[in-house]
Amino acid sequence: MTTCHNIRPLLPARAEELSRFEIHTRAEHVADCARCATEAAAYSRLGQALAVMANLEADPADGTLERVLVAIGRRRTGVTDPRILAAAGSAGAVVATVVVARAVRSRRRSRRRAPSGPWSRRLRLPNLPVPTPALARAK
Amino acid sequence: MEVDRELVEAAQAGDRGALEELVRRTHRSVYTCALRLVGNPDDAADVTQDVYLRVVRKLGGFRHEASFSTWLNRVTTNVAMSTLKRRTRRFAVEGAAVPADTRDPAPEPAERAEAIALARRLERLVAGLPEGQRQVLVLRDVYGQSTEEVANAMGLTPGAVKVRLFRARERLKAELEATEGGQVVALAGRRRATGRRS
Repeated sequence: MTTCHNIRPLLPARAEELSRFEIHTRAEHVADCARCATEAAAYSRLGQALAVMANLEADPADGTLERVLVAIGRRRTGVTDPRILAAAGSAGAVVATVVVARAVRSRRRSRRRAPSGPWSRRLRLPNLPVPTPALARAK
Repeated sequence: MEVDRELVEAAQAGDRGALEELVRRTHRSVYTCALRLVGNPDDAADVTQDVYLRVVRKLGGFRHEASFSTWLNRVTTNVAMSTLKRRTRRFAVEGAAVPADTRDPAPEPAERAEAIALARRLERLVAGLPEGQRQVLVLRDVYGQSTEEVANAMGLTPGAVKVRLFRARERLKAELEATEGGQVVALAGRRRATGRRS
């Protein structure tokens, strides 16, 4: 048989916080036990009053609203529509891709031309020491 | 806190006036939620400002899947919890976190008058709970978040949330009964009330 001691932890809980078995056990015990029924009713009343608290509002200190409005005015961007932001993001990505692609292509071209460049020619000159990796880094 | 969908959409589209109106309509509710979570008016005002800065950044991503007030409560919860993690508490909870002048958003039917009166008394008692218990109770029982949502917001396991919730409800009920009993007895004579509370 379920005792008051066993039921006590279940009394403050809401139905959705309990298993079916716990709900059934609690209901069965509360039906027969006036003391636990009173407790359960008190918790139920408490739960209702707590839910009502969500509708009560406190007044913030004077100036809080103005402070918020000033802060968001400073931070706010002109456009917040996600479709416009997405379009702007896509356009930015396309531009960035083109810039990177052009940079890569021009670098490849310059590498292909490198053997005929002035630095290569200087390396091929006779009587000049071949630069070691350390010297190359220093230069 | 009732907010029209049209107003939210206008704010999302970049209408500055709509955004300001949104703030005007919701700032008391945000402040109250923050006050209940962080426990003192100064931090609650800071949290309120941070909430709207985050709202400005994230409003474009709001898809109206939940109500705006539910979304705003979640943002407030996250900002309040981040604030609490960053800061050392400056005030004791007792006596500091009570919304001094709670008011009804709209006239209520007579049958709810008692529940509202009780809710007003509860504000002070909730404010007196230990911080961890108070936050869990406020999020779960006042703002109706699920146990999992509360656990995520507070960085706890669902089991830990349930334990805190149980303790908070038990303590609150006991204190409410003591207060109500004290008040009732006080009408008949102070001697018995003093004996009960000591």
